[in-house]
Amino acid sequence: MLLTLFGVSFLVFAAFEIIPGDPAISKLGTDATPEMIAALREQMGLNRPFIVRYFDWLGDCIRGDFGRSYSYNRTVISMIGDKLPITVTMTIISMLLVIAVSIPVALLLAKYMGSTIDRAGYISNQILMAVPSFFLGILITYIFGLTLRFFTPGGYISYRQNFAGFIGYLLAPSVAIAIPKCAMSVKLLRSAILEEWNKDYVRTAYSRGNSTMQVMYRHVLKNALIPLITFWGMAVADMIAGSIVVEQVFNIPGLGRILLTSISNRDYPVVEAIILLIAVVVIVMNLIVDILYRCIDPRISK
Amino acid sequence: MAFIKSIKKIFNKYHGFNFNAGLVITGLIFIIALVGCFYTPYEPTAMNVSIRNTAPSLAHIFGCDDSGRDVFSRVMEGIRNTFFISTMTVLIGSGFGIILGAAAGYYGGKFDEILMRINDALFAFPSVLLALVIVSLLGPGFLNVTVALGIAFIPSFARIVRSGFKSQVNMDYVQSARLMGAGDLRIIFVHILPNILPVLMSSVMIGFNNAVLAEAGLSYLGIGVQPPRASLGLMLKDGQALLATAPWNALFPGMVIVLMVLGFALLSEGISEAS
Repeated sequence: MLLTLFGVSFLVFAAFEIIPGDPAISKLGTDATPEMIAALREQMGLNRPFIVRYFDWLGDCIRGDFGRSYSYNRTVISMIGDKLPITVTMTIISMLLVIAVSIPVALLLAKYMGSTIDRAGYISNQILMAVPSFFLGILITYIFGLTLRFFTPGGYISYRQNFAGFIGYLLAPSVAIAIPKCAMSVKLLRSAILEEWNKDYVRTAYSRGNSTMQVMYRHVLKNALIPLITFWGMAVADMIAGSIVVEQVFNIPGLGRILLTSISNRDYPVVEAIILLIAVVVIVMNLIVDILYRCIDPRISK
Repeated sequence: MAFIKSIKKIFNKYHGFNFNAGLVITGLIFIIALVGCFYTPYEPTAMNVSIRNTAPSLAHIFGCDDSGRDVFSRVMEGIRNTFFISTMTVLIGSGFGIILGAAAGYYGGKFDEILMRINDALFAFPSVLLALVIVSLLGPGFLNVTVALGIAFIPSFARIVRSGFKSQVNMDYVQSARLMGAGDLRIIFVHILPNILPVLMSSVMIGFNNAVLAEAGLSYLGIGVQPPRASLGLMLKDGQALLATAPWNALFPGMVIVLMVLGFALLSEGISEAS
């Protein structure tokens, strides 16, 4: 895992090294004298060897110092720190929605396996899986925002002003992010439940006098959730990446907004920091999934 | 030849509902894309102020946008562009993925180890994010998006091909081919590759699926296909501003994206069901 983290940070840093375009020139504008550029390059530390700068940068990142933004005179950490709660809250709400909705729906579909409910569920699942979350966002804006007027599109409320209003506004984008993931997990969970249902231990559990409910919740569901945890771990990463686009739909000033403006301003420290942050989240999620595995299924650690 | 035979075998084998439904949807959209190369009802960029934001009618079945351009013609052009980008993306991704994955899985050893380490690191970036970074390095535009998405898709193809090769490389038929004097390249491409084709085909379809989504997403963010070219994602972006007055501008392109993704997803499902 440490090796992966190392590789990830190196890739991020190297990628931004090979781009044409000198940040010193773009900061000063085209009419700067060569002396001014040289002085700024010196001040920004751009003329030291690549490897030296990489290890400096890595050391700073570990201490939580991502440098200063090129285009705004602020530290990167203060820029990101402001927006992070927005993206994190959105991801948490959508993850909770996915878990809360997909388990009961999958249980229902598995219970009525082969019936009309199951088939209808299957078809709507396939369709929902195909809807990109930003189009869902637009649909939600159109139906609930413009037609039914449940919320004001674009009327984002900061979490500093009104926390309840903030959560309320984030609910719509979170639903948009959650629905495709939810359909996917219903599908996976349903087939996992049906697969577990035919195993020997189910018969054993029945023969020990358990009711169907007990067998389902205490035995089958526990085993069927194992593949789902991997999926959910990966889904978190997708949701963060997806939230970049959905934030644009709902006009939310979150991580995605700064990522996009920094990309167009060639503000590399900010872009590097955000991408590194997302990659670290993905790696940490993988670690958490591994740990959860061991808690749910002690056989794996042996 | 072995390739064409194996692909034929796949098509003869699959008759499931998913596969057929996927084939119909994808085929329909493919035909629209093909027709869009030669003929669109109106010029996609022709503006006509007198019919700004008119609702869908017989003459303009998807309505008109705020510069009086025919939405259906633009959707046709968008489908064509999206099809082109996703095909190129999948070709780049699977081409390099097959070469790297086959080499890693077949030879193993140090090369495999190093390649998989790099792959692990790349896997930590969601592929849309990876494409976003590459686009930001190359600059926005039609070709750059294609290249960016293609590169972003290499790791997942390489991983799938590698694990396929790993499972086949010690089998008897590979041994016997080697004893008969077949070279490494012949074993890789003529003997092993056709055997992992069903897995590969299924992931190619998922690749198409993701490519359509990623292209639409990037164009929606304004860093993909640039105007005046039409793209489904770009139309969604422009249409969103008109949602209150002319909702058809966003709804039709969005539905076409859904159909495209659905078609590829069903095909992939059908292939993996049958194998």
